[in-house]
Amino acid sequence: MKRVLHYAAGAAILAVILSIFLAPYAWIVASSFKQHFAIFRDLKPISWATFFPADPTIDNFVHLFVNRGIGRALVNSAIVSSCQVLGTLALCALAAYGLTRIRFRGSNVVFALVLMTFLLPIESLMVPLYMHVTNLGFADTLVGVFIPWIASPFGLFMLRQAFEEIPRELDEAARIDGAGHFRIFWSIILPNVRTPLATLALVTFLFSWNAFLWPLVILHSPRNHVIQLAIAQSVSIAQLPNWGETFAGATIATVPLIVLFLFLQRYFVRGIALTGVKG
Amino acid sequence: MDAAGKLRHWATVAVFVGPFLGMLILFQYVPVVAMLRDSLYDFSLLNPDRRSFVALGNYLTLLEDPDRQQAFLVTFVFAFGVVATVIPVSFAIAIYLNGRLPARAIVRTVVFLPVVTSVVVIATMWTFLLDPSNGLINNALATLGLPRGEYLTSKSQALPSIIVMMLWQQTGFATVLFLSGLQGIPRDLEDAARVDGCGPWQRVRFVVIPLLARTTVFVVVIMTVFSLQAFAPSLVMTGGGPEGTTNFVAYDIYALAFQLQMPGLASAVSVVFMVIVLTISLIQMRVLRAKGAE
Amino acid sequence: MLRLSTYAVAATLLSTAAFAGERGPPTAECPQGVLTLTVLKPLNNPPTPAVVKAWEGQNKCMRIELNEVPFAQLADKIAVLAAAANPPDIVMYDGPYTQSYAAAGILLALDPYLPAGVREDIVQPTLDEHTYQGKLYSPGTQQTSLALFYNADMLAPLGIQPPRDVDKAWTWDQAIDAMKKCQKGEGDNVTVWGLAPSRFGAGTPGFVYRDLLFVRSHGDPKAAPDSDLYKTYWALARDGRSAQGWINNAVAIGGAKYFADMFNVAKITPKAGIPNAFQDRKACFTIDVSYFVSGLTNNDPGFKWGVTPLPYVRTPIVHTGSITLGVMAKSKHPVEAAKFVIDVSTGQIAEDYARASRGLPTMKSITARISELKEYPLNIFVDQIERYGHPRPPSPNFAQYDKIVSDALRDIAYGSDAKTRLDTAARQAQPILQR
Repeated sequence: MKRVLHYAAGAAILAVILSIFLAPYAWIVASSFKQHFAIFRDLKPISWATFFPADPTIDNFVHLFVNRGIGRALVNSAIVSSCQVLGTLALCALAAYGLTRIRFRGSNVVFALVLMTFLLPIESLMVPLYMHVTNLGFADTLVGVFIPWIASPFGLFMLRQAFEEIPRELDEAARIDGAGHFRIFWSIILPNVRTPLATLALVTFLFSWNAFLWPLVILHSPRNHVIQLAIAQSVSIAQLPNWGETFAGATIATVPLIVLFLFLQRYFVRGIALTGVKG
Repeated sequence: MDAAGKLRHWATVAVFVGPFLGMLILFQYVPVVAMLRDSLYDFSLLNPDRRSFVALGNYLTLLEDPDRQQAFLVTFVFAFGVVATVIPVSFAIAIYLNGRLPARAIVRTVVFLPVVTSVVVIATMWTFLLDPSNGLINNALATLGLPRGEYLTSKSQALPSIIVMMLWQQTGFATVLFLSGLQGIPRDLEDAARVDGCGPWQRVRFVVIPLLARTTVFVVVIMTVFSLQAFAPSLVMTGGGPEGTTNFVAYDIYALAFQLQMPGLASAVSVVFMVIVLTISLIQMRVLRAKGAE
Repeated sequence: MLRLSTYAVAATLLSTAAFAGERGPPTAECPQGVLTLTVLKPLNNPPTPAVVKAWEGQNKCMRIELNEVPFAQLADKIAVLAAAANPPDIVMYDGPYTQSYAAAGILLALDPYLPAGVREDIVQPTLDEHTYQGKLYSPGTQQTSLALFYNADMLAPLGIQPPRDVDKAWTWDQAIDAMKKCQKGEGDNVTVWGLAPSRFGAGTPGFVYRDLLFVRSHGDPKAAPDSDLYKTYWALARDGRSAQGWINNAVAIGGAKYFADMFNVAKITPKAGIPNAFQDRKACFTIDVSYFVSGLTNNDPGFKWGVTPLPYVRTPIVHTGSITLGVMAKSKHPVEAAKFVIDVSTGQIAEDYARASRGLPTMKSITARISELKEYPLNIFVDQIERYGHPRPPSPNFAQYDKIVSDALRDIAYGSDAKTRLDTAARQAQPILQR
């Protein structure tokens, strides 16, 4: 009896979580296969038709690819996000090592400098940053989209936490064996922080892929548009959107991230000794 | 250390920390300095060369401007609301997902879906979910015989509505962070606690929570920073209204600079905001870290 | 799709797009090279590809590159680009911003480039809107005004026949009465609204272009210049420098309450947007611009529809103005850019465009040549503009006034106290207007 109750409670929790998080999403995906008028017709009353396209059409998707150049935007986004991930991982890992493993005068100052920017609302920096990046010649280029963000205070903060949790006995042992900083960084530290690195890669990719305000400011020509700008043309803030297209765009923009997340999930699941407590 | 050793030492430091620090200074500090300078001027973005020096005039304006003060208040209430709801909810879901339950892989993915959807789309979607007459939420409530809400069109409900949206969106992110922390807890520790006769609740209270102190600091800081930087909800959903009740500082800065053409005042708000946020975050980390060290 | 060579990736990354116009290498036909002019324009708005093609056909050695942004981001984009070193040559901007841009020196005055007689041919509201300190900054690419569209199939069984003549226009009391009769359902279960939610902005109430008219119509331009009636009609000091007393006097407050009552007392219109509410038969009436005529003609909604002049309270008034073309002061090719703007706005291309789009030209001579503009329903828009059309309150700080007043009207529609909220708006606007 107790076991039955236990399972029933478990199933109930499961159902609640799934519906709260899935219902709006199911609605978006279903709506992306509907014609504009049907999206609104199917809302009242709420029924299975709200979450399922009775008469599916791929018009919305066709229109996005043919007329809105969403294919080009997807490629641009993939380039920008990949570069941002690689740049961020490289810069942050190096700096995290420097801050946790090398004693040098001023390291606290450096970290304080990093923290300050971590907490800075980037929206406030848009104008001076725009003028600055333009002066550097990166206006309306894909480089301009990601270059200001690869020195990610978020990434450094995250990796620094992870690096500090690796027992120092490990690198002291290596040092006794005659290894230098680069050897220790490469062969001792990095293999031990795969999970945080994967997490950072995922989060960076996510931010980069979903970034909206900065690309909007720095990019002008349609051929350089990234995916969020392409969608925004149908979402078009403060303008009544074409919901079918918007939702089709949202579906397209979200799929790569879901795939990536599914792919990287095993890093979380495997749970390699992140905290170092095990050693 | 001899001179050559010193040189080698600093060269190593430069190789590891230099690239990051260089980029940080180039793309964050240089604009920040520009912002500090701008906060002392009165000018318009349409013609930034025509500017007049007003010293601390913008800061004095700020002190007696009820709209700016409201923006700060609204933003802090929002951040508090988000942190206070996201932390317990995501912690509970993380614990749930860490157990040996069927379908947990699916749940984990589903909970993460809002995180990977762009905030622009989420805000647009929620605008429609929250629509008082045609929204999904009110229609669902009506089906259940519950009273309807006014949501974004109401002075008292607009901010709570956006907090709920933020909770919905950020729970997955916080859950994943908690989960990676939970998976760092060795099974033997929990097993030992079980052998000692600890129930599930006690195991969470005495084993999991203390060991997750670091993760919690991280999640609290991240969520605070995320909420304090909230921008898209104001821009997409409410335009800061009704009556400024969702006028978050980041949006206020944007609106001041771009829409009201007062980038000088906007810069002054940015500077004050930066100082306040910095202070809050530092206090937060101190407090939480002290707790974790108990 | 993703199989890009490293080289191609690098090339894409480093392609610094020239945003400002540039000259290409010389060819046989064009010894000076083909000149590319860049135009920043809002998405789904003119100049259309047909217009660009027609102009390129007449000017073989010039090419137009269109860069599009969503309309709502246009003003922000122009503000940012104006400060940049290489802005576009030409912008398609929202008409009321002329004074802001002119005062900031980002637009080029077109007077030296205007052929003789063109200036005299432009309708008055357009001249009012695009003139700043005696100089003309845009000939106006098109003109428009709002009118009330109705679903004739829904009104016929009720015996309601809206007037077609501007002299017999409904008052808002009459219109609201008709909307009440036509509405189906009450409270939470409305299936057909009397009046569709705003099509402008995000569909929320408050948009100055539409909703300030409810307030201004409570005023009277013939009243004494220091009276509340007079100030309410103009809604902003005539020199554009003060809103205090102009938007928050007793008459204006009464107007704002009248507007809010449609949402909260009569409840004939919703507070949130419903895309295509009119076409989808979810509303009997909708307030829309002349271009909607062409929209409904080209995409038959499947019911009979009609147009009636915009209702009024005390004094009839419509806002005029539309998006328009201007030349950026920083353009390196002002002669060519001005030629494009003037050709497209005033010549044969403008006439062809007006015919194709059923738009209202800004040139009186073109209007006279198009017979469709003298017939129902388009004559309503033309008549309204000629008799009582005014631009949105002109000021070098219109953008700021627009945002502050729109936000206030929105909040009042949502239920805020009209007096308190308008007082706040006047307080917020004052220092900006007086800068």
